[in-house]
Amino acid sequence: MTSTILVTGAGGVGKTTVSAAIAVSAARAGLRTLVLTVDPAKRLASALGTESLGNEPEPHPAEPNLWAAMLDASHSWQSVAVRHAEPDVAERLVQNEFFIAASEHFPASQSYAAADQAVTYVEALAWDLVVVDTPPSAGGIDFFTAPAQMADLVGGKLLRWLTGGSLPGRRFLYTRAGRPILRMADSILGNDLLERVAEFLLDLRTTYDGVARRGRQIESVFSNSAILIVTTADPAPVAEAARFFRELPEVASDPIAVLFNRTLPDTWIGAPAAKSAPPVLAENLRRWGAESLRQVDTRAEFAAVHNARVVSIPWVAHPPTDLDSLESLIRESVDFPFDELAIPARP
Amino acid sequence: MLDKRLLVVSGKGGVGKSAVAAGLGQLAARRGKKVLLMDMSNGGGLAAHLASGTLEFAPREIRPGLFAMRIVRSDALLEYLTLQLSIRGLNRFGGLARAFDALATAAPAVREIVTMGKVLWEVREKKWDIVIADAPPTGQIGSFLRAPKSISELVPTGRIERQAAWMSHTLGDPDTTHVILVNLAEELPTTETRQTLDWLETNQLVPPATILTNRILQDLDREPAGKGPILEAAMHHRSVYTEQQEWLGVLTPDLTLPYLFGLLTPPEVSARISDELEVAL
Repeated sequence: MTSTILVTGAGGVGKTTVSAAIAVSAARAGLRTLVLTVDPAKRLASALGTESLGNEPEPHPAEPNLWAAMLDASHSWQSVAVRHAEPDVAERLVQNEFFIAASEHFPASQSYAAADQAVTYVEALAWDLVVVDTPPSAGGIDFFTAPAQMADLVGGKLLRWLTGGSLPGRRFLYTRAGRPILRMADSILGNDLLERVAEFLLDLRTTYDGVARRGRQIESVFSNSAILIVTTADPAPVAEAARFFRELPEVASDPIAVLFNRTLPDTWIGAPAAKSAPPVLAENLRRWGAESLRQVDTRAEFAAVHNARVVSIPWVAHPPTDLDSLESLIRESVDFPFDELAIPARP
Repeated sequence: MLDKRLLVVSGKGGVGKSAVAAGLGQLAARRGKKVLLMDMSNGGGLAAHLASGTLEFAPREIRPGLFAMRIVRSDALLEYLTLQLSIRGLNRFGGLARAFDALATAAPAVREIVTMGKVLWEVREKKWDIVIADAPPTGQIGSFLRAPKSISELVPTGRIERQAAWMSHTLGDPDTTHVILVNLAEELPTTETRQTLDWLETNQLVPPATILTNRILQDLDREPAGKGPILEAAMHHRSVYTEQQEWLGVLTPDLTLPYLFGLLTPPEVSARISDELEVAL
């Protein structure tokens, strides 16, 4: 049995670092752990044991329980075609300019591809724990709704919108359903653009059965995963975290906890400075103490409003560059849910 | 910078791009300009920094001289088709918006041209002294700035092409358009800003961008001393400062904004940013 942790949250809050830190802590506690990461910073990638993470999991040279791989959505989207369409259709699809555009434009498709790849590793049963750093591109909750959206896309919903009514056969392309919207679009866009789009969507529809079946498998893994939300105490990411707490129970499962990254020590709040202390340093303490107080208030409010378990991860000025500093990020955090995540204490 | 007709403010998510856009808008309005702030990315960040409540497609005067709106794609599409392409007899109901969504999902640049077109239309209408766009993050800004060119390639003739040519020209005019990339002195934002600058330089779609690095700490000018919290806070400050200096060395900003201590709300943040920019601009 492989357990799964999905780490999500707004961009720029340190989600990738926190995901790596959780994986290192679990690996060092004896779990065979795979971390799937999105676009890690160079220094983090080197901490994970490889400068250029690949699509395939690679073991860490110094930590035998730790594996890492990149989630590469652009590559995986092609595998949708290759896996779920007939060979000749797949070949036509991957070379189609609209296929390439759709993979860039339809945020759910990137999330779907990343989730598909992640679930493949969960199903491999080669690890005790898979930690997934969810891609930010789609924006939050979309990662979890991606399988359903993807099935809609390839299932012909778009095609129906273009053509109206029932799904057309390929003949539609030559008879032109005669809808005003199509005539108008043709007059604006030139004769063959819509035809090319529709041709593409018809090809894409042949992948429907495969994509829908896979989507259900992905959703099943999601609903059995532990979800962690990372934020800082800044208003924008906190608002995003609040959205997750409101919407995730509907589409996946209840988040286990919200992890406040970059937390300052609360011992600085209102701490007195010695009379002899240099004024510059006393003022510095007062300012950072005020920041810390603001963070305490934000965490307390979030816990109360969302009935959420709140975890504090310390603010380290220099991002972790090795396994020790990654692990200590988690081991020095306050109220980290080791038990709920089944991560043992370090032997 | 405030002499231009269009400012496009972008940056990696979480760097304070909406706060900077809101701050620039407040500053320009204080200087007597008639300002339109446009939320292109629909994230709600701009509205929060203006304390305006939800923004709508119709511009609303938030405070004297400062108008704000958000680009609602279906409204923008209708306007694009009727005003810019002079297609009559449309209404916003029926299949238009959904058919457009279908098309925009599969065809490159269709979605972006409608949003970018709305921004440039407001610039052209001369109702405003300055239009400030809270633009999509750096990860997506390229496809928006390139949209007119992409459309020209996709649809090489006709009304759409003429519109696209005009848009490309406006974006590239150094007297009209200026791009501001908001950055933080940290590894990931700096790497992404660097990549965006390289992309902008290669593609030559807009005049050279300004880099504005946000949340910069001042040096303490004093060795950490004492014990307990006062020492810890000083050590913390110094190590964040040192880390920031490293990244300032990697990518030198044209402008910086200080780290703002103890501020609670987004409107307070944007008001402080506008005060800081007052000195710099």
